[in-house]
Amino acid sequence: MLKDKVSLENYEYMSNAWDEMFDLQGNIRPEYLSFKKLLKKVNINSLREMEDFARQFFMTQGVTFTVYNNNEGIERIFPFDILPRIIKAKEWIEIEEGIKQRIKALNLFLKDIYHEQFILKDNVFPSNLISNNPQYLFEMRKLNVPKNIYTHISGIDLIRNTDGKFYVLEDNLRTPSGVCYMLENREISRRLYPSFFPKQNILSVLNYPSILYDHLSSLVDKKNPTIVLLTPGLYNSAYYEHSTLARLMGIELVEGRDLVLNNNYVYMKNAGGLKRVDVIYRRIDDDYLDPLYFNSSSQLGVAGIMSSYRKGNVVIVNAPGSGIADDKASYIYVPKMISYYLNEEPILKNIDTFELENPEHYKHVHDNIEKMVVKKTDGSGGYGMLMGNSATEKEIESYKKLIQKNPKNFIAQPVISISTTPCLIDDELTPRCVDLRPFAIYGSEGIKVCPGGLSRVALKKGSLVVNSSQGGGSKDTWIIKNLK
Amino acid sequence: MLSRVANNLYWLDRYMQRSYGLLNIISTNHNSTIDSGDYSSWESIMNSYMGFKSDKKIINYDDSLKVIEYMLFDYKNPNSLKNIVSKSRENARSVQDHISREVWLSANKYFLFINDQTTLSNFKKSDPLNFLNKLLQFNLLYYSTSDITQERGNAYCFMNVGKYFERIIQSVDFLYFKLLKLSENEKNLQEIVFWKNLLISIGGYQLYTKTYKSIFKIENIIEMILINDNFPRSVKYGVNKLKLHIKRLNTFNELKKTESFFLAEKLENNLKFNTNKILNSKGLRFFLDDLIKEINELSIKINEDYFS
Repeated sequence: MLKDKVSLENYEYMSNAWDEMFDLQGNIRPEYLSFKKLLKKVNINSLREMEDFARQFFMTQGVTFTVYNNNEGIERIFPFDILPRIIKAKEWIEIEEGIKQRIKALNLFLKDIYHEQFILKDNVFPSNLISNNPQYLFEMRKLNVPKNIYTHISGIDLIRNTDGKFYVLEDNLRTPSGVCYMLENREISRRLYPSFFPKQNILSVLNYPSILYDHLSSLVDKKNPTIVLLTPGLYNSAYYEHSTLARLMGIELVEGRDLVLNNNYVYMKNAGGLKRVDVIYRRIDDDYLDPLYFNSSSQLGVAGIMSSYRKGNVVIVNAPGSGIADDKASYIYVPKMISYYLNEEPILKNIDTFELENPEHYKHVHDNIEKMVVKKTDGSGGYGMLMGNSATEKEIESYKKLIQKNPKNFIAQPVISISTTPCLIDDELTPRCVDLRPFAIYGSEGIKVCPGGLSRVALKKGSLVVNSSQGGGSKDTWIIKNLK
Repeated sequence: MLSRVANNLYWLDRYMQRSYGLLNIISTNHNSTIDSGDYSSWESIMNSYMGFKSDKKIINYDDSLKVIEYMLFDYKNPNSLKNIVSKSRENARSVQDHISREVWLSANKYFLFINDQTTLSNFKKSDPLNFLNKLLQFNLLYYSTSDITQERGNAYCFMNVGKYFERIIQSVDFLYFKLLKLSENEKNLQEIVFWKNLLISIGGYQLYTKTYKSIFKIENIIEMILINDNFPRSVKYGVNKLKLHIKRLNTFNELKKTESFFLAEKLENNLKFNTNKILNSKGLRFFLDDLIKEINELSIKINEDYFS
């Protein structure tokens, strides 16, 4: 017999993982109660129609990236699961406070290591992590950045462990992406659940662009400053996000070739002549920013922009050199930074991390590699890592050789059970691993964390990798206001 | 506004206009082959619209459906509809913060339709004229959306400069390749159906019969396409619009009289004061040669004044 409703009773848990919707006894968690009632009422055909509507919506709006095959461009969307991920306000408050605390400490750390370097002198942070790190930019030494803010925009990756607590997996302080997916996911939720959504007291994310604009304009003492968003261009996979943010903020979207330096000031080439630029929200990496200072073959950046920045003629957001603070090796020391600079206990915990250049850690990881995730300290996007529990013996052996060659380039963490959330896959509620990337803006009036963020799900069964570049998808994240 | 953005806006509408012109010519030619059974006309269209070299005989012109399929869907030919629409949409994608949301959606939906895998198979199953009309609806929707939703600022003017520039070129090409070749094909001149199709392909049949009834004279057609004040596809109408938008651009961007404006004004005067020369079909070729030179010069100046 064909079923007409999605089954909640036959939900197959992943062993040893916290599930966002059900507790271990199979009871619905309170934050999901009203959504469960809705699911009980909706039939499978309607859910299929909703999935179809979401796909069409992303396609026609152009929330896509292009894959080139045989000289033909094919438009792809990032997969979206129509069931929301719901978080209680009480839990959110803790996340929010934890992120604020972390970003505050990381900014103090950046200011310190580019100035007096007290943290090195006090032996709290090993100096070799600075001296050997390409992310540490000597061009930033002794340079005072506006309002002492380095990381204006951050995306902090969190996961929920088996104990139900959120842990920090990674700090993204360079050019974190995904915020527009958060906005689009919310837009589609409003459309998918038009009568249910308004009654749920969900905290809004829609003012993110105006908060960001306010913040960017507060960085210079000038009325109506000229702010631009610097993109690598149309073929970048995050181009959609760049153009949407520029559109929502009402600022100009520029490429490196649109900018020119004159007398250490940055100008954009307008149809009516040159126009001076005051603030650059760049979405290109440090290395490509200025061919005169960094990668000399870069065509994405602007020659001389660092000189202009050093003279204080233009503000670059996030500050160049911020990457030293979100490096995977620095990550280990963030709890220490929090107690060193703020004299506080970290609200959000780190995941146990082993530094492979430490011989004891090296041995432990080497002996237990099948229980470890090994990552390169300078890697991102889920590339180049080893999942010890699923890799073949051959893969493990060749990875071990890589580590042996240069152990300081690697860190390892125990394989953890990332929490799962029900996704609608082939008409069934199916558990999939999920993380959370909330976005924070650090402005002159403090740090604001946008309520919710991007929930990324690993759509492959049993996979822990949620990165969109590795077949991950996303969900809307609802923070329910009145639910304690 | 950035020069690059201005340039992309200009090309957004040039490509959109180009696709509109291409669809019209395909549609009319297919219609006329049904009447005349003369398929040779496809070859000249392929030469002028597809940049198709006649020595490459990969197409059998007797098979209209194959020719149309090639012109619409061939992804290797940069002038196929599929590629023109994709380029237009790529320009739209790069200027999303300057066009209305609705204009973007309209360009994107056109692109998605033509690139959808089922579109080609649907084409093969349907009546080609119906299918071409369906495609033309995307163009018409784009123009009306742009008219209703696009703010009248810099972006609108650059889009219009692109649109009218392309339209002028299409009308001049029409005169050059269609009317000037008439002497070679004189047997057709007496056939009403020939004139009718010719005028339909440039969207002027209705206006022509209203103005001149159904008496077809080459001078009247030249008058309508070159210097009629009210025919939206006439060269004169296009030049007037071009001048208007260039003038507005100069005001918006606080530019003094640009070379582009001067050349557009010169073109306008040529059309206004050379009526006798134009209407004498012997002088037409020389006039058109000069006109094409001036249009090319204007294109260079627009590039220099706003895009470089």
